[in-house]
Amino acid sequence: MKYQRPTTPTVVVDRVAVTGHCPECGAAELKAYPVLSEGGWFKVVKCQNCLASLVRDADAIGPIELLSRTL
Amino acid sequence: MPDGARPDSLRELTEPEFVARYGAGRFTCGVLANRGRYVAEHICTALLHRAFSPIITFSQDFVGAIVGPPEQGYPLTAVNKGNVIFLGSMSTGVRNTVHEFGIERLAPGDLLICNDPFRVGNHVNDLCFIRPVFHAGAIVSFVVIRAHQLDMGGAIPGGFSLMKTSVYDNGLVLGPQLIFQRDRPVKETLRIILDNTRFGETLLPDFYTIRSCCALGERLLQDSIERYGITAYTGAIRYNIDASAAAMQDALEALPDGDWSGCDEVDSDGIDADETYRLVVHLRKRGARLEVDLSGTSRQARTALNATALDAQTAVALAVKLALDPYTPFTSGLYRNIDVVIPDGSVTSARPDAAVMFYFEVQSALVNAILRALAAPLGSRAIGGAYGSTNLHTGAGFNPDGTPWFSAAELEAQYGAWGATDTGDGNNHSGLAMLNMIMPSVEEIEPRVPALILHREYLPDTAGPGTHRGGAGLLKQSVFLSAGDHYLVPLHFRTPSGGGVHGGGDGRVGGAWFFTASNADDRTPVTGSDIPDTDDFGTATVIAGTVDPHTGKLTADGEFAFFGRRPVWREGRGAVLRWITNGGGGWSDPLARDPEAVKRDVRDEYVSITGARRDYGVCVVGDPLTDPEGLVVDLAETARLRRDLAARRTPR
Repeated sequence: MKYQRPTTPTVVVDRVAVTGHCPECGAAELKAYPVLSEGGWFKVVKCQNCLASLVRDADAIGPIELLSRTL
Repeated sequence: MPDGARPDSLRELTEPEFVARYGAGRFTCGVLANRGRYVAEHICTALLHRAFSPIITFSQDFVGAIVGPPEQGYPLTAVNKGNVIFLGSMSTGVRNTVHEFGIERLAPGDLLICNDPFRVGNHVNDLCFIRPVFHAGAIVSFVVIRAHQLDMGGAIPGGFSLMKTSVYDNGLVLGPQLIFQRDRPVKETLRIILDNTRFGETLLPDFYTIRSCCALGERLLQDSIERYGITAYTGAIRYNIDASAAAMQDALEALPDGDWSGCDEVDSDGIDADETYRLVVHLRKRGARLEVDLSGTSRQARTALNATALDAQTAVALAVKLALDPYTPFTSGLYRNIDVVIPDGSVTSARPDAAVMFYFEVQSALVNAILRALAAPLGSRAIGGAYGSTNLHTGAGFNPDGTPWFSAAELEAQYGAWGATDTGDGNNHSGLAMLNMIMPSVEEIEPRVPALILHREYLPDTAGPGTHRGGAGLLKQSVFLSAGDHYLVPLHFRTPSGGGVHGGGDGRVGGAWFFTASNADDRTPVTGSDIPDTDDFGTATVIAGTVDPHTGKLTADGEFAFFGRRPVWREGRGAVLRWITNGGGGWSDPLARDPEAVKRDVRDEYVSITGARRDYGVCVVGDPLTDPEGLVVDLAETARLRRDLAARRTPR
């Protein structure tokens, strides 16, 4: 077994609070979390009010880690 | 282009601005974009005519695609009108495969493969074939065919058993590797596949055919480059992706801002009936930006129900496109303004070593959940729910003469009713929206499989009522002429999948039954007396559905039969498999349906005379069986019925 099945019946994506204000709408509601979009996975910091992205860093193939990639 | 970034409106660009951006004029870019789609169609026509596998030639479980160059991010620029379930993961899957293999190792004539769901999405049977297209020593495109293989090894023939519990019994996992190198077969790769799978005599010639189809695609793209120049060719790919992104952007902007949620369920993962699998979506839309968060979705399954994140993204794309922008050709550009938030370890993003096989069942429920979430903002443009599950059947065994038989995804209820829309009634017999496969014909199936297809008929009062009614549920029934093992995966018979919208009613929920043969030996002929009447349920074993325990008939307040209590249904010659598929959801108030349309539905046996009164408030007089063209509507009684039904409604 590589990963244990979650023990809770449902699962959620944690959004981590980030200090700052949105340059588009001014809201102090910035959160960091992963998203899947055009071009693959990104680690983003987004305004939770207007959904503007302040940070979008490409993140390879997301949550999966392959041992064979170390070859 | 970053999230939410707005390309200048393509329509507002002057011609010099357009040429400066894309390296060619509008007309040339349009021609090249269309030619890309033509190439995708052409290679698939070649495959369709030459493949041996019935799931390719008859069910059309494949797609052809053109993917753009690495420096553009491997965009999916053109696809054929094939199985759309492969489209959403195409760009990311090709990128993952090429990067891991090593782009510098690719040469003209190479054919790269990968089938790992965690790398390329879908399941292991869906082998991805990737051929690079070179120009002046650089890769300028990839010709891609994603085609379901009849078998990829694993616990059961064909692979469609829900009861596989890990990647190790799911089938052969192939990381990025060459199957053809400079147009010559790579024998080591072929040996690994053929030594670990069934039906190699079908797989092997199809591999050669797929190689030649990809080579044909390469030649056609080279023709385009030679005629229009490489600058126009690559510029047209960027234009095509931008045009797709702009179309989705326009569609999103036309939707009001808001937050909406939706949910649908999969009955079980097959282990027990206690844990249903909930697909939860939270949509947040601001301007041209859309975020789809799947938080609150059930954890990954203990069996092969699971999907990967790439499959979840595909389902989101298809549902949003179906609802908001159904006519623009599919490219990866449609994701530009859509972020999907997918909980790791959920049934929408299982982690290794979970088995991923029935991802399309998760996608089906996810599409339904998204359409339910969008019902409020879409208002009258909302789309009713469909029949829900592919209800997959796989059968295998030996004929009396000792020859083996095998059937996958053809003697089942994989096709059914769609929901109604503002434009009309729901289709009665189509593949799920995110599958787009073709039902094999009876004439093709029966010579190959020891079974006779007895019934495919619509059932009255199963469609969700509405001004436009949903598609009708079907009764499908087959008798087996040889003994065999049957693997059954009915996953949406617990709650309605065909939800009504905009005031329409839900479609009725169906079920599945097996009638065991009374003389189940290999010699006794199967006769008409062995076939149960279509209203006989009492002598059957219920496979799935909510039924009266005494009569075996469907009833909303009955007992739910859990299909997973028997992982394998071992049946003899003469056994009869029966399905009733879910009805599609209705659109808008059934009391507003044209009484003449209700009369036609009674004539065509979509609606009974009793159902016409109860669900539509229409009094149809006559006998649809003995005098179908003599039916009439009693207009005065209809007006009274509709007044009474409207008065009895609970105010909302």
